Amino acid sequence: MNTERFALGVPSSKRTVAAAFVVFAAMLVVPFVTTAYYTGLAMTALVFLMLGVSWNLLAGYAGQISLGHAAFFGLGAYVAAWVTTPAAAGLPALPFPLSHPIVALVLGGVGAALVALVTGPVMFRLRGHYFAIGTLALAAIIRLVLTDKRSISGGSTGYYLNAGMGEVPTYLLTVVVAALATIGIYFVVNSRLGLGMRAIHDDETAASGLGVDPLRYKMYAFLVSAFIAGLAGAAYALNSLYINPTSTLAVTWTVDTLVIVILGGMGTVAGPLFGTVVFMIIDNGLTSVLGGLATTVEGVIIILVVIFLPNGIYGYLKSYVAERRGTDDAATSD
Amino acid sequence: MVSIDLLAQTVSNGVLLGGIYALAALGLSLIFGIMDVVNLAHGHLLMLGGYVAIVLFTMAGLSPLVGMLAAMIVLFVIGVVLQRALLERVVDEGIEQPILVLFGVALVFQNLGQHFLGSDSQSTELTLGLGGIDLGPVLLSPSRTVTFIVAVLLVVLTWLFLEYTSTGHAIRATSQNRAAARYVGIDTDRIYMLTMGVGAALAGAAGSLLSMLFPIDPYVGWSYLLKSFAVVVLGGVGSIIGTLVGGIILGTAENVTALFLGGSYRDVMTFTIFLLVLLLKPEGLFGSGGGGE
Repeated sequence: MNTERFALGVPSSKRTVAAAFVVFAAMLVVPFVTTAYYTGLAMTALVFLMLGVSWNLLAGYAGQISLGHAAFFGLGAYVAAWVTTPAAAGLPALPFPLSHPIVALVLGGVGAALVALVTGPVMFRLRGHYFAIGTLALAAIIRLVLTDKRSISGGSTGYYLNAGMGEVPTYLLTVVVAALATIGIYFVVNSRLGLGMRAIHDDETAASGLGVDPLRYKMYAFLVSAFIAGLAGAAYALNSLYINPTSTLAVTWTVDTLVIVILGGMGTVAGPLFGTVVFMIIDNGLTSVLGGLATTVEGVIIILVVIFLPNGIYGYLKSYVAERRGTDDAATSD
Repeated sequence: MVSIDLLAQTVSNGVLLGGIYALAALGLSLIFGIMDVVNLAHGHLLMLGGYVAIVLFTMAGLSPLVGMLAAMIVLFVIGVVLQRALLERVVDEGIEQPILVLFGVALVFQNLGQHFLGSDSQSTELTLGLGGIDLGPVLLSPSRTVTFIVAVLLVVLTWLFLEYTSTGHAIRATSQNRAAARYVGIDTDRIYMLTMGVGAALAGAAGSLLSMLFPIDPYVGWSYLLKSFAVVVLGGVGSIIGTLVGGIILGTAENVTALFLGGSYRDVMTFTIFLLVLLLKPEGLFGSGGGGE
């Protein structure tokens, strides 16, 4: 089934990438043609898109359900904070080019990836359920330790960033980074690397029998995924200029990421894109209607989509279109 | 320096707390052992159980021990409904779907709790008119002693149920080999429903007991899920004695850590123990389950 999806997926994914280019180009002009409010929404959407894309690689392609994604997001945010505003954590200031927000953004991704590099070989001794719960525990440890280390995290008071790049440049930078991440992931999943990841997702034993080293491919997925989640966190921190351990490392980030990917469709390149759009509509539309009960609706959506649309909205649309096209072909050949 | 007396008091409090952890973990272990599903909503079911006792205590002045019985009934029904309405459709469909569905359930419970019960933490109080038990250097407080005894009693009752009733035998048969259990005429769908109900009821009982010792708020779910899972992993899946010992080890380790490193390291210690056991001795101290499964 998956090989079939893969074979059918290539041409339509190419169209998806072309469409993605158009979308990102359009995103670039948002701050110049709309208000600051819409630019803010677009910024949030980009952060969520990066989170979705990164979790999708690990869970949708490599089949490793991580519930600790918030940790990498939060670490990326903190690295960006430490690099741009070291004084608040009592760290020595970095020389000029290194303290630039663009460098801080990249270092946010690198910091998260380094933590993934260290913890990955340990976490991947766990499989399935154990991996999911293990990553949840790992994220909880990171959050609790950072909350306790007030001197470097700001504790409950939080951490104010002094990045000083301005809202519009930060936004434009985020558009570029999100576009690179999305398109980069497209090339990863359509390469040998991506095939290896799908192989261990479908049947780990069979894949390792055919010479695909599961740990290696899981680690690749984990590193790339953590790197992009770290970029998302850093972009968030550079934009909001304020982070704190309780909310920036909160499980909510993991939850929202899951909602986006599951809504859109796990294991598809276009899934997180669709998911982000729908999520932004739900999150902003429903919150104004439902107020405090928005999370309940999100939970219900996760449940319903997992049960009734296991391939997500994009997967459903795709099979619907394929079905239509199938019957049309049958009609013309008659 | 920490005095010996204080250390002894801390350890004994930890042991007593461990009994409740064992009870919470037993429900998770049952569901995992029989249905091969990690109930990600377990901590949130526990939280709901705590709130049943809290609501009955604050509104009607009912003793939390009576509240616990009510919580068990309510949670049994919730467990059965969860299985009927949702899990039945995704169990045996691989691991992703049940994990995600239960994750959604946990979110719904947490958000509903926060919305209707408020974010402030609340607790119940056990009034028995008894003094604590004085053992020289150590004083066993009445609420800690009673909750420990009730928790251990419920663990033993569950063990007797599984060991000596025909339904218990059917549950164990289903956990060993589902297909074979069906061949000999066991209605495994009913067994799954019962398992989910009993598992949720045990979580509810643990929540009510915990409400007598610690304040409960709608966000405690994740923490208690990880604690329960840590106990299951420590003791080994499917081992009741392992679950008891695991609970007591965890309760003690937590309290001693809080004494030496401060309260904020209590949970850090729990999760560290959990990860270490998973990595070093995945089959647990007593069980046959494995982290590689």
